[in-house]
Amino acid sequence: MPAYKLTYFNARGRAEPIRLLFAAAGIKYEDVRIEGADWPALKPKTPMGYLPILEVDGATLCESTAIARFVAKRAGLVGKDDLQQAKADMIVDGMKDILKKLILMVLEKDEIKKEELKTDISEKTLPEFLSKYENLANPSGFFAGDSLSWADVDFYNLIERVRAMFPGDHLKGKPNLVKVMANVKANPGIAKWVKERPESAF
Amino acid sequence: MPSYKLTYFKHWGRAGVLRLLFAAGGIEFEDVRIEREQWPELKPKTPMGQIPILEVDGTIICQTKAIGRLIAKEAGLAGKTPLEAAQVDMIVDGLSDLQVKIVDFFIEKDEKKKQEKIKEFAEKTLPMFLDTYEKLANSSGHFVGDALTWADVDFFSLMFFLKDHLPNDPLKGHVNLTKVRDNVTSNPGIAAWMEKETSH
Repeated sequence: MPAYKLTYFNARGRAEPIRLLFAAAGIKYEDVRIEGADWPALKPKTPMGYLPILEVDGATLCESTAIARFVAKRAGLVGKDDLQQAKADMIVDGMKDILKKLILMVLEKDEIKKEELKTDISEKTLPEFLSKYENLANPSGFFAGDSLSWADVDFYNLIERVRAMFPGDHLKGKPNLVKVMANVKANPGIAKWVKERPESAF
Repeated sequence: MPSYKLTYFKHWGRAGVLRLLFAAGGIEFEDVRIEREQWPELKPKTPMGQIPILEVDGTIICQTKAIGRLIAKEAGLAGKTPLEAAQVDMIVDGLSDLQVKIVDFFIEKDEKKKQEKIKEFAEKTLPMFLDTYEKLANSSGHFVGDALTWADVDFFSLMFFLKDHLPNDPLKGHVNLTKVRDNVTSNPGIAAWMEKETSH
């Protein structure tokens, strides 16, 4: 079995979808969390100058989505044929826009602007996104085919991040998405990881 | 082979690379190019209100990279092993990070701000990016392994899009990247396609 070494900061951030996938499949890996002070020395050794990176089979991968897809393949969670895999890919990529807006809001220092961004997300971006995604999930609670895929896991992770910033029952009236969340939480590996994972601010 | 119908606007934009992938793989596809005025009617019929979309035997896929990966797999350009596939993915993802910065200056309406952003992009952002990518490409002019992949085609596609917006050839001095570009343009399917695309 190849050894996997994941390196990131001590945070869920961009590495958490990867950690969730390792957990879902019960694949052992080294979960390296570096301090901010150690980053400048490591940065030039990474392919593109940022984290997370995954060292596997003598190679170093970067780009969290590329890494997550690689792990999902090893975990058998990528979709059963090319078309299902494409569906999973589109679901994952489709979440980038709202994630970008969430990050911009979090990083905004001007309090008035921050409130505007928050309102825009909670009243426009988020409801529109969830409406679209309700139609893209099936009634059994899966985005690609009829079994758990990394698209479901990634969606779950995003919603957890959203809930932390915007408390409320966002999935009310969205039964497909409620089922997606339940399916992911019911995975024993994920349930165990969520209970035992290190605490971090974000 | 499944039937493919790609829908986008007429310009290169986000679908340029997808058309190149079909061409490189010698794969037949319906190349639908809509006018701006047709978009409002089509938009609600798309999965996420965006194009390009690819219809494959009735299923609609959106998101440029999801489509790109599907065509690349069909064309044998997605990497030979799962690790190679991940390396192709990471190169493509890095290119899309750069594309976000391009879109930022492209859509800037204030002309003065736009020129400032283009200057910053051409003098700082792009050179730094190309220095990184020069190291990621090998001396045979490939990003992954020793054969053409979607990573090489995507790189060429973005450079082709940029060339009208920059005063000089950004690949000057980048030996590996210049070879990547040469490898892509000398692919027979791509050469024929580019001849057609640029001859009007």
